[in-house]
Amino acid sequence: MELKPQPGMAGTGVLERIEGRFGYATDQHHLPGLLHGAILRSRHAHARLLRVDTSRARLMPGVRAVVTAADVPGLNRFGIVVRDQPVLCEDRVRYEGDAIAAVAADTVEQARAALEVIDVDYAPLAVVDQAETAEQMSPLHGESNLLAREAFERGDTDAAFARCEVIVEHHYQTPRQMHAFMETEGGVAIPDNNGGVIFRVGCQSGHRDAEQLADILGLKPSQVTVEATPTGGAFGGKDELTIQPAAGILALQTGSPVLIHLDRFESCRTGIKRHPVSMIMTTGCDRQGRILAHRVDALLDTGAYASLGPAVLENFLDHATAPLYRIEAYSVSGRLVYTNNGVSGAFRGFGGNQATFAVESQIDALAEKLAMCPMELRRINLRTVDEPGSRGQVVRWTAPPSNVLAEAGASPLWAPAGSDLRRRWLTGTGMAMGAQGNGLGDGLPDSGGGRVSLTAEGRIRLEFGFSDYGQNLAEAITCLVCETLGCVAGDIDVVLGNSRGPDSGPTSASRSSVLIHGVLADILPRWNDCVRDQAAALTGLPRDQLHSGPGGLFAGGRQVLSYRELAEKGQPEQTLIDASQAFPVAPEGNQPVGRYLQLQISTVARVAVDRLTGRVRVTDLHHITAAGRVIYPPGYLGQIEGAAIMGLGMALSEDMPTRQGHYLADNLDQYIIPTMQDVPDQRVDVLDNTPTTDRFPVRGVGELGIEAVAPAICSAIEAATGIRVRHLPVDAGYLLAELCAQEETCS
Amino acid sequence: MTRHTQPEPCAPEQVTFELNGDVISQWVSPATTLLDILRGSGRITSARAGCRIGRCGACTVLLNGQAVPGCLVMAWQVSGGTVETVEGLAEDPDFVQVRDALATESALQCGYCTPGIAVSLVSGLRQQQNGDVVDLEEAVTGNLCRCTGYGGLKRAIAVLTEASSET
Repeated sequence: MELKPQPGMAGTGVLERIEGRFGYATDQHHLPGLLHGAILRSRHAHARLLRVDTSRARLMPGVRAVVTAADVPGLNRFGIVVRDQPVLCEDRVRYEGDAIAAVAADTVEQARAALEVIDVDYAPLAVVDQAETAEQMSPLHGESNLLAREAFERGDTDAAFARCEVIVEHHYQTPRQMHAFMETEGGVAIPDNNGGVIFRVGCQSGHRDAEQLADILGLKPSQVTVEATPTGGAFGGKDELTIQPAAGILALQTGSPVLIHLDRFESCRTGIKRHPVSMIMTTGCDRQGRILAHRVDALLDTGAYASLGPAVLENFLDHATAPLYRIEAYSVSGRLVYTNNGVSGAFRGFGGNQATFAVESQIDALAEKLAMCPMELRRINLRTVDEPGSRGQVVRWTAPPSNVLAEAGASPLWAPAGSDLRRRWLTGTGMAMGAQGNGLGDGLPDSGGGRVSLTAEGRIRLEFGFSDYGQNLAEAITCLVCETLGCVAGDIDVVLGNSRGPDSGPTSASRSSVLIHGVLADILPRWNDCVRDQAAALTGLPRDQLHSGPGGLFAGGRQVLSYRELAEKGQPEQTLIDASQAFPVAPEGNQPVGRYLQLQISTVARVAVDRLTGRVRVTDLHHITAAGRVIYPPGYLGQIEGAAIMGLGMALSEDMPTRQGHYLADNLDQYIIPTMQDVPDQRVDVLDNTPTTDRFPVRGVGELGIEAVAPAICSAIEAATGIRVRHLPVDAGYLLAELCAQEETCS
Repeated sequence: MTRHTQPEPCAPEQVTFELNGDVISQWVSPATTLLDILRGSGRITSARAGCRIGRCGACTVLLNGQAVPGCLVMAWQVSGGTVETVEGLAEDPDFVQVRDALATESALQCGYCTPGIAVSLVSGLRQQQNGDVVDLEEAVTGNLCRCTGYGGLKRAIAVLTEASSET
C-alpha cells in the first residue's frame, strides 16, 4: 500500500513553527537579566595544558564570570556510557573541541572578546589521528587506546568457509557523517530561587541529562530541571550533553540566566559525528547460493571520548551478522579505538547502517560471482518469520522478509529510465535490504513511562519525557488516544520532554513509539474507568452505560457530561494515572541479546551517472517497509523520507575528514548536505501484516529509512556503470576515472 | 568562533528601515548583519543563525521584496529599505497560501528552517505574479532542511504550483 501523506492532518504546533514563534531554546533571548555565555575551545587536537590564565578576561567589559576546571562544583566529567569527558579540561586536551574555560557576559560579543584574552599555554602531544595505528600510540585514556573489542560468533566459521564454492572479500569504508541539525547546540540555564537550575536546552534525554548535570553542578537531582523541548533537530547528535554543563556553572556563578548558542563553526568543531568504519568483510556460499560463512573485521574510530561508542560497536556488530539472512557460521569482530579525531557517538542508524552498507554489497558481490540474480540470492537466504534472529534470540518481525523483497522486485523503478536521460547519463536501478531493531538492546536496562490526567480545565493531558524535535510524537499520541477513548484531538493536550514529568528514557533507538503505545494501552483503560466512575457518581447513571467520546462522557448516544463539567464537579486530581514499563525484550528464558522487535526495509534506487563528470544523481527512491501499524501517516512518511535523504547524503557527499586531528570542514559550505535539487522523488509502500492480536503492533521508524539507502545507490551505480563503489561517500573523480578506463578498453 | 579574525568594528551609524510596517532606527556598526539587528531588536525570532555564511537559508527575509539571507546583508545596505519577516506576513495572502500548503502537506518536522523556506516561497510567488517564470523548487534551493528530505516540501510546492496555474 503506497503511503500518502493525507493532507489536512496538520500536527500540533505546525502553525507556530511556520510563523517562527515556536519557542526554541535558542530563541530565549529576552529573559530578564539574561547573560550570554561562550566557551573557549582547544587550539590543539592533543596537548598538555600548562597554564590557563583568565586574569585579563575577568577585566574585560561586560564580563560577569570566567570559569575553568577549578570552578566545576561537582564531578568534572560526563558521558552516557563512560564518564570520561571533562566539562572543562584540567591538564590535558584531547580534541580540537575540548572546552577549557567559559565566560558569561552582557553580550555575546563581550563574551567572545573575553575568550580571546584567556592565556593558555599548551605543550603539544603526538596526535593520534589514524585509527589503524591508534593502539600503538601513547594512550589518550588509561592503559590503551583500545576502548572496546567485541566479537559475535556462531558455528565453526573456518570449517564453513572450507565448504564454500564462492568467497568474496572486500574492504569497505564509511564516512564521518555530521548530524547537521539546523538548530545548532544551545539553550539557556536559569537559576531558580532555591539554589537549583532549570535548563531549557535542545536535547534528547531530559531525565538522564538532569542526573548528569546534578553530579556536575554538585546539586541534588531534585534541584535540576531539564525542559528538553522543542529541539531544532537532533538525530543522535544531542544525545550527549553539549552546552548544558558550562551554562549551568555560569548560571550558578552569576545568579543569572545564561544563554549559550554555538555558531555553526563551533558546532562543526565540537559536535559528535557518526563513527567512520573501516572493515574487511568475507562472505562465502555454496554452488546454489546458500550463504555458509561470513567474517567481519572492523575498526571504528570513536575519537577522543567514549560517548556512546561501545553501544554503537554492539549495534554495528549486530548488523554485521547480516540479521536478515540465515548464515550457518559467522565470526564478526570489531575494535573501537580512541583517537584525537573529534568525538564520534550516536547518529541515526547507530552503527547499523554502516554494517548494512557492507553486508548488502557483499550479497551483490556473491550474486555476481555466481552469475545469479541478486534478488534471487537474497530470496533463498532470507530468514522466515519463525526463525530466531541472527544471534539466536527470539525476534518478532511484522511481515515475512520475503514479502518485503518481493515488493521491491515489483517496483516500477526496474523499468528503464526515459531516453532523455540516456544520452549524457548512464542510468541503472539497484536495491538493498535492511533490518532495524527497536530499543536499546543487548540486555541494557530499558524502560519508560507516561502519564494521563484530566486537568482542572477539563483537558485530557498526556505526558511523556521524550523530546519533541518534530518527529510527530504528539500527533501519534493524539491519534492513539482518540482511537482508544473516542475523543477528538481538541480534547487533548500533549506535554513532552520535561524532566519533572514522567521518565520515558532517551529519545533514541527508535524506541519512543513502542513505549508510547505500550504505556497508553496500560493507562488509558484505567483512566477511562476512573472518569466513568466519577461520571456515574455525578449523573446517577450506571457506569456500564457511560463511555468517553468527543468532548465528554456519553450515554445512550448523547453527551451527558463534558470533560470540563467533569473536571469542575468531580475530582480531576484523582484521575492522574502514571505507569512505566520495560521495553519489550525476548520472553523469559531466551537470550537477552540483540533486539527482539525487528523491522525491515527494501530500498530500490534509480540513479543517473554523468559520463562527463562522474557525478551521481539519484533520480528515484522507492522504499518498502514492514514496521508495524502506521499511526500518523505524515509522521511515518516524513521519518522514512528524511532518513533516506540523510542516507543519500552519506552515500554521495557527506564526510568530515581530519588531518592531524583537525576537521577539514567547518561550516555548511564545506560540509555538503543534500538540497532540494539533490533529492529524488520518493515513494514509500507499507507492508502492514501485523496481526491485530500482536502485542507489539506499533514500532519505531525513526532510523529504518537510512538503513538500506547507501547500498541501494551503490547497487544502482553498478547497474549503470559496472563499477562497484565500496568507499563512501562516492568519489565522482574515481567514478570518472573508471569510466574513462572502460572507454579506453573498449576503443 | 568564526573562520577569520574579525577587524575592529567601525564606529556606529544610525540605520533606519521599515520592519514589518514599523520604522526601526538604531545606532549600529555599519557592518552589523541584518540578522543580528533583527534578533537583537527583540521582535524577531523567525530569522535564525544556522550558518552565518549565507548557505543554509534559515535567516531568509524579504528586503525590498527580495528574499535575502539576513546574515549576508549589512546594516548600511538596509538603510532606507523595507524588511519583511514571517512575523509581519501573517495577513499576507501569499504567505497564507504558503503557510497552508506547508501545513497540510506536513512539509516540516522540527520547523527550525521553515520560516526561511516560507519567505523564499512567498518571494517566488510574488515574482510569478509579476510575470517572471520562477520554479518554486529552485526558489528554495538555498534553504537547507535536515529533517524532512524535502518530500513534504515538494508536495507543498506541487499544491502551490497547481493553485497558481489555475489563477
